[in-house]
Amino acid sequence: MKMSDDEIFRLEVARWLRAHLRGEFECLRHRGGPGDEDAHPELRKRWERELARGGWTCVGWPREHGGRGLSIAQQVIFHEEYARAGGPGRMGHIGEGLIGPTLIAYGTEAQKRRFLPGIVAGTEFWCQGYSEPNAGSDLANVQTRARRDPATGEWVLHGQKVWTSLAHESQWIFVVARSDPESKGNRGLSFLLVPLDQPGIAIRPIKQLTGTAEFNEVFFDGARTAAENIVGQPGEGWAIAMALLGFERGVSTLGQQMHFAHELDLVCEMARVNGAASDPAIRARIAQAWIGLKVMRYNALRMLAGAQDGHLRREAMMYKYYWSNWHRELGKLAMDVLGPDGDVVSDDPTRTRLQQLFLFTRADTIYAGTNEIQLNIIAERALGMPKEPRFEKGKS
Amino acid sequence: MDFTFEDQQTAFRDAIRRFLMTEAAPEHLREIWETKSGRSTELRSKLADQGLTALSVPEEFGGIGLSDLDWVLVQQELGYYAIPDSLSDTAYLAVYLLTNMPADVALKREWLPRIASGKARVAVGHPVNPLVADAELADLLLLWHQDEVHALTPAQARLTFNPSIDMSRRLYRIEWTPSDKTRICPANAGRGLWEGVLDRAALAAASQLLGLAHRMLDLGIDHSAQRKQFGKPIGSFQAVKHHLADVAVKIEFAEPVVHRAAYSLARGHALAPVHVSHAKLAAGEAAWLSARKSIQVHGAMGYTWEADLQMFMKRAWALDASWGNRAFHKARVARFVLGNGAALGPDATFN
Repeated sequence: MKMSDDEIFRLEVARWLRAHLRGEFECLRHRGGPGDEDAHPELRKRWERELARGGWTCVGWPREHGGRGLSIAQQVIFHEEYARAGGPGRMGHIGEGLIGPTLIAYGTEAQKRRFLPGIVAGTEFWCQGYSEPNAGSDLANVQTRARRDPATGEWVLHGQKVWTSLAHESQWIFVVARSDPESKGNRGLSFLLVPLDQPGIAIRPIKQLTGTAEFNEVFFDGARTAAENIVGQPGEGWAIAMALLGFERGVSTLGQQMHFAHELDLVCEMARVNGAASDPAIRARIAQAWIGLKVMRYNALRMLAGAQDGHLRREAMMYKYYWSNWHRELGKLAMDVLGPDGDVVSDDPTRTRLQQLFLFTRADTIYAGTNEIQLNIIAERALGMPKEPRFEKGKS
Repeated sequence: MDFTFEDQQTAFRDAIRRFLMTEAAPEHLREIWETKSGRSTELRSKLADQGLTALSVPEEFGGIGLSDLDWVLVQQELGYYAIPDSLSDTAYLAVYLLTNMPADVALKREWLPRIASGKARVAVGHPVNPLVADAELADLLLLWHQDEVHALTPAQARLTFNPSIDMSRRLYRIEWTPSDKTRICPANAGRGLWEGVLDRAALAAASQLLGLAHRMLDLGIDHSAQRKQFGKPIGSFQAVKHHLADVAVKIEFAEPVVHRAAYSLARGHALAPVHVSHAKLAAGEAAWLSARKSIQVHGAMGYTWEADLQMFMKRAWALDASWGNRAFHKARVARFVLGNGAALGPDATFN
């Protein structure tokens, strides 16, 4: 029987990863995923450059922008094999998955020339400046201000962003800022690219309940960026910001699911070792988790099949809600499998991983759009239901 | 049974609540927990002044001589204010063990008055828990060995500290050698005592879980009233307020289950162990739900170290797995319900 091109490609990816995810990179296997993003940052940056040398960054980008130009099917294969090999959480994912595609779609030629090569090469890292203390679920309530310096034309920023993942490991931040001081809500915003290493910016880590810190507060006090570092026109920031979020639900979901499958394996392994697997209730929940994982996989494949024209089908809107609830439940299952050992710290790596899984998944239904916001999106955009009453000035 | 508490019992509960509100503020607890010992002698002596260490010590040994039923309301407050294990382990569990020990009056005379006056800490090691809480600071260790009860000083054992996810806990692995000298109660009498310890410890955990559920609910309510998005408090959105209403329902329905178990233990009801397991399950569910809903309502803030919610969540998760986790207690309930000849039906089940 002759192998298809996709099968040959799958072998090629697996072979490359086997040959390269070893030696100094061996300890990165299965590390650095969501909730573990502060693991080995320097080594993971080196790993990005290793990937780049093999041509394995930005595999879905068009070749003309330095990508590998893979078909959707091959991107899926790449992400699956990457996760199967235990490939570490990608330090470059915000550049590769979010700002890169946004610049390809909406950036100027000069912006593409300036920023895309650093992302492809794994030498420049990005973070996302959206949320603020008073703009979380109500993202349009952004208060960070940007004004033009009449002398230089530069943008000058004042304000604060929060929950900024990896800000302390990045060189650049993309910022949604209010450039029209008279504006309210999602009008009058601009989308700016701002270098982080400058006197006008202070970054402060936020300690999480896990005791680690992977996100930050980013303070802007007269921070500057060049006039040309705006994506779209002044006032178009909201449209650009929302388009960027559309790229978030891309092909990497299949890789994410492979990571979930690995976690479920760990749960099963622990249940076998400590005897929890003989409890019928635990068995039933493990089976239920497996069913949920399959549901996600089939839906992701269908979602990607429908995304060829660039428009997401409505199941894409439901995906975050589904996986985050599933994953949070997996965390609780892990805790129940651990039993009385669950809250006791130990040097058994599997136990530690499962405890981390449990703690980290407490936030899954909160970050990147809470459950409540996701359900509103499903109800209002997918089902066309009447919008939630919104507060307007002068009324209540 | 009558679910009304006596005025005296609720008045005592209220006094303890007022006391803990000022003396056990979260920022103060954090400071204590960050120290190596994790305990404050000052707070302990204040708790003793409130009568908490003397609560169930018999009057002849300098205590107040109250029952499991008096403890249950107090335990809910200890949970609400996240008072660590040491107090309950000493003043409730160890006192139960020592008081009900056959004979050996010398031992009782030595330890019970010291416990009552707040001058002694006692740690209790039961096989259902992999580790022993607060062993290092204890003046006395009461340890299980083949259903016997053994008494040691920490110096007679090798203690290894083992951190917990819950910052309030001080857990230790204990290596020790049982001998005739350390044995204070033989297995035939010890078996029943250890069962009694387990039931009381599980009941204490259940009551504390209920208190914790309540605390996390209150934190969620506070946050949703203060936090504004879309120009109004997020608590005004149905999606948010319904989360917390669900928790309130869960707590309301778990509370009588816990009180029922306390009543059964106090009266020596034959089904007390089943009632206790039911209570631990019901209270544990309420605490889990409250943690999940409260962190959801807190949004990203709830996931930070800075927000107090994490202290209470971690304590709830840890207590839920202590003194028999959910699988353990479900099995105890199932053994009763599915037992040979277990009578089910209106006349048998609902009593």
